[in-house]
Amino acid sequence: MPLLNEEIAEQVKQELVDLAGPVRLVMFTQEFECDYCAETRQLVEEVAALSDQLASEIYDFVVDKDRAEELGIDKIPAVAVIGAEDYGVRLYGIPSGYEFTSLLHAIRTVAAGKPELTEETLAALEEVTEPVHIQVFVTPTCPYCPGSVVLAHQLAVASPLVRADMVEATEFPQLAIKYQVMGVPRTVINETVHIEGAAPEPMVLGKLQEALEGTEEKV
Amino acid sequence: MLDFKLTQPQQEVQPRPVAEQSDQVYDLIIIGGAPAGLTAAIYAGRAALKSLLLTGPFPGGQVTTTDMVENFPGFPDGINGAELAQRIQRQAERFGTQIVMDTVTKADFSTPPFTVRTDSQTYRGRTVIIATGAVPRRLGVPGEAEFFGRGVSTCATCDGFFYKDKRAVVVGGGDSAIDEGLFLTKFAREVIVVHRRDQLRATKIYQERAFANPKMRFVWDSVVEEVLGEKTVTGVRVRNVKTGETSVIEADGMFVYIGMVPGTKLFAGQVEMDEWGYIVTDRRQRTSVPGVFAAGDVQSPDFRQIVVAAGSGAMAAIEAERLLAEQSGTT
Repeated sequence: MPLLNEEIAEQVKQELVDLAGPVRLVMFTQEFECDYCAETRQLVEEVAALSDQLASEIYDFVVDKDRAEELGIDKIPAVAVIGAEDYGVRLYGIPSGYEFTSLLHAIRTVAAGKPELTEETLAALEEVTEPVHIQVFVTPTCPYCPGSVVLAHQLAVASPLVRADMVEATEFPQLAIKYQVMGVPRTVINETVHIEGAAPEPMVLGKLQEALEGTEEKV
Repeated sequence: MLDFKLTQPQQEVQPRPVAEQSDQVYDLIIIGGAPAGLTAAIYAGRAALKSLLLTGPFPGGQVTTTDMVENFPGFPDGINGAELAQRIQRQAERFGTQIVMDTVTKADFSTPPFTVRTDSQTYRGRTVIIATGAVPRRLGVPGEAEFFGRGVSTCATCDGFFYKDKRAVVVGGGDSAIDEGLFLTKFAREVIVVHRRDQLRATKIYQERAFANPKMRFVWDSVVEEVLGEKTVTGVRVRNVKTGETSVIEADGMFVYIGMVPGTKLFAGQVEMDEWGYIVTDRRQRTSVPGVFAAGDVQSPDFRQIVVAAGSGAMAAIEAERLLAEQSGTT
């Protein structure tokens, strides 16, 4: 049984018809597949089949430990969306429900290798000299969430120092507790700064800068 | 059961116009990128008006949070709310309206051409349509803002999961309050509905479901006065409006559904508003300022329907076009 019905598959095909370049969906699961690991693997394979520009690669989180470390994958199910280069675009947990949109946007953005951000944001990202890790906590039933994920992924594509994860909170309850997630979207930047709710681009940029200022002070 | 939704989150908007472009005067500036504003943009584009639409922070507006819209004409099988908004936007773009994702921070309607400001740009327009919609009303009590996103929420479908085996307070007595409260009972151990009256306003079908649900409890004639807690929410303090007595309800979170509030703060003192902050318009969507129109939920709480918002957006654009034609003496 395919996960994507014919109608959705056709729409996805149309979405991906003009992909700007090749994209690899690098998926990590394990032999005894975790909750939603099997479904995530199947989803990645089904989506990859919908465009000539897409390829799926499936790895075992345990057996292929080196590969996982190389890509900074620390939990499964995980999908790394990699284009001409690895921009640090990751999705942890199955991108179902509203988050399916986030996966497709990640593919499009990575394929283009060019983010859709304002000149102001791009200029500000040029100034970034420290690594930035953005984690966006979501649930699949949250219509406000893909906006935050897409924005985070755009920031990752824009700057080699920024990496951005979608984290599906219901599949990683221990992380939801660690980061005190009681509502989504919740964005955590460099473990220190957090944003509750869907925030517009200038605000996220401001918080990113705030997180970096924090780093400088500590040094 | 897994589902996969294809929507368009705040994307595919054109880059902001460069500085020299923004010096020119637009025929029409539309403030708001939800069905009312986007429909106005379709009509403005087709009328060949030089028009600009500023989407605000969340293009598509309230409709984007609706899973399935089943009452918009032309979609017999229903349509996902975000997809509907995206389709209307594509239609507007097709007819040449410039759509920019930017948020208005200041407006000056004292003399035409009117000035509309965002953080980075100033735009001028001969006419303006305000279509900023409405957002969920907050209680405005201590603790509410501090705990927002950390125990205070306005979206049970988003955040219900985090209340597994916990207790949640739902404030309100209308359809949204009861519908979302019922959704919460899938996760929560107990859902306590705090309502300021002694009966629900929600439609009968919701009431029946609510009263039949063993996880739901009702606290009547009461208002929340404070959200309590240190790091996390531990409860809410409520006051009985009939007896004046206050008490504490222990809870891990609070969901607020007490109606909507129009997005009109920006325009205070510039156009006439009613006592609830809705912009007053005549039957042709005209505000108290000639040349400034309003459409959608921002000017009427009476219907709150996508089709009505779209309709009023069309009316506002047609009126703007008429006024511009009169001004240039072509009628």
